[in-house]
Amino acid sequence: MSYKGHGGSEIVESIARGNAENRMGGLTRVAISRQTAHEVISIAYGFFTPLTGFMGQGDLSSVLDSMELENGILWSIPIVYTVSENFLKSSGIREDDSILLTYMDAPLAVLHVNEIFAFDKKTMAEKTFGTSNPKHPGVRRTLSYGDTFIGGKIELVNEPIFNYPFSEFWFTPREHFDIFRKKGWKHIVAHQTRNVPHGGHEALMKQAWFAANEDLPVDSIHTGVLVNAIMGEKRIGDYIDEAILLGQQALNDGGYFRSDVHMVSFTLWDMRYAGPREAIFHSILRANLGCTHHMFGRDHAGVGNFYGPYDAQNMLSRYRERLSVKPVFLMENWYCPVSGEVTSASVCGHSDVAQKFSGTLIRSILNDGVKPTKKIMRPEVFDSVMLSAEKYGHGSPFVTEEYLRNRQSIFTLKKQEDDSDGR
Amino acid sequence: MEGNARINIWVNEDRLSQLDKVGLSSLTKEVFAGMRVLEVTLTRNQVDRIMKLYPSAKYDTSTTNSVELLPRLAKDKLFDAVLETRSTGPEAVNRFLQSI
Repeated sequence: MSYKGHGGSEIVESIARGNAENRMGGLTRVAISRQTAHEVISIAYGFFTPLTGFMGQGDLSSVLDSMELENGILWSIPIVYTVSENFLKSSGIREDDSILLTYMDAPLAVLHVNEIFAFDKKTMAEKTFGTSNPKHPGVRRTLSYGDTFIGGKIELVNEPIFNYPFSEFWFTPREHFDIFRKKGWKHIVAHQTRNVPHGGHEALMKQAWFAANEDLPVDSIHTGVLVNAIMGEKRIGDYIDEAILLGQQALNDGGYFRSDVHMVSFTLWDMRYAGPREAIFHSILRANLGCTHHMFGRDHAGVGNFYGPYDAQNMLSRYRERLSVKPVFLMENWYCPVSGEVTSASVCGHSDVAQKFSGTLIRSILNDGVKPTKKIMRPEVFDSVMLSAEKYGHGSPFVTEEYLRNRQSIFTLKKQEDDSDGR
Repeated sequence: MEGNARINIWVNEDRLSQLDKVGLSSLTKEVFAGMRVLEVTLTRNQVDRIMKLYPSAKYDTSTTNSVELLPRLAKDKLFDAVLETRSTGPEAVNRFLQSI
């Protein structure tokens, strides 16, 4: 079976199955952060194909300067592993070593250290985000990295076991391909989200379905929408992860999408809010899930006023020939009181009275726990979100300090046998 | 500023029908896609009492002059008080304060 992802590359799968214990013996153990652990998992399962590990200096420079890897394949966002200089010295890690990366006190992966190097983080931030302003969350993140970069291949030695409800929505890239084949989908349009779906999102996904279906017949369906949620760093006020996944699935369960045209899954990734460059990255990510199309709305992956509302779409147009998915460009949807429907700014002629979907407004309604009208949010979605709030969010559908302190892990890792007795 | 402060209560179809029964539905204002808002006005003294009871709430004196971020249950009780008193003024707020 062929699994061709971004740039026509075979989907990477770097997992030591069966002989994992042998791979770990005697290696220096290095505890890693949540972000790094998520990226290790994503690399190992092929979400970042053709990457097989953390970038070396050549790839990193090439990505920043030319928007491509050294091998010429389009790539936009640095994928790096960094440590402090002090840590490097005290650990004794050298090039050509293999080290065992651990997370939540359990082994996760072996990193074959190919290259250790220094890189100017300010330059890296400026080229990735188009600004060095520390108010940009991606710039802040980059500047907080360690000063020493370690590049090398990743080999997963301990596969994560996803906890409910994440277990219902976790599929590796190859599993995505297999599911799409089973469903008979020839065109798959990705919807990137970190949100509970409101009426505007639902309409966007439906518009994208029609665009992606192109000239395929409609008497038998061969086009699907993949809602691929991003699960990563949470900030106070974000929707809780569980509400996002279960809320999106509620659109399917409620019949607002036929079950044979809609599917929900997620990717472990910390949003960089890199606007145009992140849009390119999302197209790569979803090509690696087997998607043929990707919807991009207004201000895709932007933050504050750092990017213009259509900068991401313009960048995608510039690199159109090198993308492995076809972008579907959409304008915002609003509620038109004259038409009495949720509709697109592209076609509605009543912009003077349009009622825009505002996150603040919907947040206020949900905070009060008042079921919105069906045009704002489907009752099944609302019920699911409120249930998630009770079960997982300590009463709130939004991330609170309590949620950050006490939230359940997305996944667990099996401890090594010699770790279980406290060693 | 006494008497001008307000608390906004979201009104969906269910709540609109309850308000209709007590003759208050016309006081709501459509905001978004059929979702309406009922403004309950309160005195400065009532604002102070509410802020003491709910320290996490915010009183926006600079723009909207409204009390925001009240817990959901408080809003629910205030809505019940509006129905009981058939008022959207300080009388409803007094009933609400008596009920907690």
